[in-house]
Amino acid sequence: MIKDRHITLAHGNGGRYMRELIEGVFVRHLANPALDVLHDAAPLALDHRLVPYITTDAFTVQPLEFPGGDIGSLAVNGTVNDLAVSGAVPHFLTLNAIIEEGLAVDLLDRVVANLAEAAATAGVKIVAGDTKVVPRGQGGGLYLATTGVGLRDTGCALGLDAIRVGDAILVSGPVGDHGIAVMLAREAFELKGAVRSDCASVLPFTAPVARFAGTHFMRDPTRGGLATVAHEIARASGTDVHLYEAQVPVRDAVRSVCEILGYDPYYLACEGRVVAVVTPETADDVLALWRTLPHGAQASRVGTIEAGRGRVVLETAIGGSRFLEELEDDPLPRIC
Amino acid sequence: MKRSGQAVAERTVSAAEPIPDARGWLERIHALPLTRRVRIMNVCGGHERSISMAGLRGALPSLIELIPGPGCPVCVCPEEDVHAAIQLVFNQDITLVAFGDMLRVPANVPKGEPRSLQEAHAAGGDVRPIASPREAVKIAQQNPDREVVFFAAGFETTTAPVAALLVEGVPPNLSLLLSGRRTWPAVALLLGSEEPCFDALIAPGHVSAVMGPEEWNFVPAEHGMPAAVAGFEPVSLLAALYSVLRQHLAGRSFLDNCYSAVVKRGGNPTARQLLDRAFDTVDANWRGIGTIPASGFALKDELAQVDTLRRFRLDIDERRKRAGQMPPGCDCARVVLGKIYPNQCALYGKACTPRRPVGPCMVSDEGACRIWWSSGIREGRGERAGSHY
Repeated sequence: MIKDRHITLAHGNGGRYMRELIEGVFVRHLANPALDVLHDAAPLALDHRLVPYITTDAFTVQPLEFPGGDIGSLAVNGTVNDLAVSGAVPHFLTLNAIIEEGLAVDLLDRVVANLAEAAATAGVKIVAGDTKVVPRGQGGGLYLATTGVGLRDTGCALGLDAIRVGDAILVSGPVGDHGIAVMLAREAFELKGAVRSDCASVLPFTAPVARFAGTHFMRDPTRGGLATVAHEIARASGTDVHLYEAQVPVRDAVRSVCEILGYDPYYLACEGRVVAVVTPETADDVLALWRTLPHGAQASRVGTIEAGRGRVVLETAIGGSRFLEELEDDPLPRIC
Repeated sequence: MKRSGQAVAERTVSAAEPIPDARGWLERIHALPLTRRVRIMNVCGGHERSISMAGLRGALPSLIELIPGPGCPVCVCPEEDVHAAIQLVFNQDITLVAFGDMLRVPANVPKGEPRSLQEAHAAGGDVRPIASPREAVKIAQQNPDREVVFFAAGFETTTAPVAALLVEGVPPNLSLLLSGRRTWPAVALLLGSEEPCFDALIAPGHVSAVMGPEEWNFVPAEHGMPAAVAGFEPVSLLAALYSVLRQHLAGRSFLDNCYSAVVKRGGNPTARQLLDRAFDTVDANWRGIGTIPASGFALKDELAQVDTLRRFRLDIDERRKRAGQMPPGCDCARVVLGKIYPNQCALYGKACTPRRPVGPCMVSDEGACRIWWSSGIREGRGERAGSHY
């Protein structure tokens, strides 16, 4: 552990302070044989019979810590999940940390510890990294960026182009938890509530399902939520996506906040859920499997791919219907 | 307007019958022997939102038309008030707080000037969205060396908590740019016109919970029109629709209360007392509609020190009341009055979208145009409501 209580610009100067920061925080939590801080680049031991997949993401969440996760666990799971829903098994991550001068070392240490735990849970190694310190006022405390490399079977044919009319749309659990948990953690709008982020690796959900012949497509409904994934499917496949309001799992606490602020839960971010498009014959097998997993009890068939022209239709609980449009702008709380 | 003292009348379903669920009410409505078109106005933007989000129009018999009414506080907030708020942010070193919806409402300004509080914020002004009046006090307390202006636009439901703050006493650096309105006078105005554009009324649930359902007795008593107070779940709205349709068919009008779990006789006496202690009732301007008698809340004289206009010696420019109603081509006024549907405005979805709203009804989640757009209605002029799907 480093002696200083707050990060200063000196921790980014390349000298002794920086070495202390890297060794005292990052290496202490993330050490593994592949993370060699003495070299400028790391070799990747890949199985050449498999197809390498790569993805990258940046994380700027505020606040840095929220019920159910923090920016560290998010930085791992966000990138792991992008690989997982592509049908790949994640193996390696790189990590960039852009730290604002004045950040409490204790907080940084907690974040990196949670990041290490999330990486261990997902079975990925951090193989390269970098830190920078920016002057006070020029960053949100801490920004993280991760790049992930995974491997996918050559026989795997998941993709938007595999989607067919008649396919079933499944979600692995309640939607909107992450979006509402982070919003509540900001303590804006004087709202309080016991909603925890669903931030987690979705690998246990995706790895077995990717091997099913009837699985056509998977995606994690992060920013923009379920409705945005539905739009991506509808636009890419030229079909209509029908969602069933009564079947979409939404926690009561999430629904209440949505009602107060006028949000639509279908547009709220998840960080530990999967949307899968599968043949109708496969749907029950996938749901049965998902429901045996932790956080999978509420897995549900929420919709169907129908012939059409790229629209997303919500069939409402009372037997009506409306279109779910693409997210227009940042929702602001409504007046009454 | 003479207020009728008659009590809220009988229920449509007797206590012995089980209360139907939403689908049960729908079945009953479909079983009614309707032969002619029935136009039902819902006053409240919250009702319009529930109706659109539940896809109710498409599920009802085609003879039933649901007409969104004047119940969007953001839509009817006078343009001169929005303009004054923007000018304050620009010309004074203050923090302005307002309910989120107000931030995007466009004012009529020359090209190049910020046309909304959101644009004023982007140009460097200190504008913050809040969701409850208490946040305004908190922000003022956290910034004791700074003047904080609370732009309080809203109906009885949002103005009552503002009254509570005033009665408790607010920090000396907090002032109020008040644009509070009462809902029933706007409906009275519509019913007083030569040919009302609707045959029955769904009265607002939250307003009735605060002010008492009796405020709406004048609809059946003085105009012979069926009326029912509804809540915001589809089941409550459907019960209210069934009630007014039954009244309409029977030719016998009364005020039904289909939100009796929340709406009690006399409303919320505490909230009403607070409103009476803090405010006088005055004639007030409604954007696009004009002055409606006894429809506005104004600060009592003894609360003059919290009046933003006095504190900053601002005069509302009387000429703006004419010049700055709705922007050219914008039909928000007729949308608010229930005379046309949102998609009958020539600008709907063309020049006017949520991304670049021309009129206030495309801004707020309580605004009919915004709600219709959010629920996916893209077809333009001439479409009958509900035929979008």
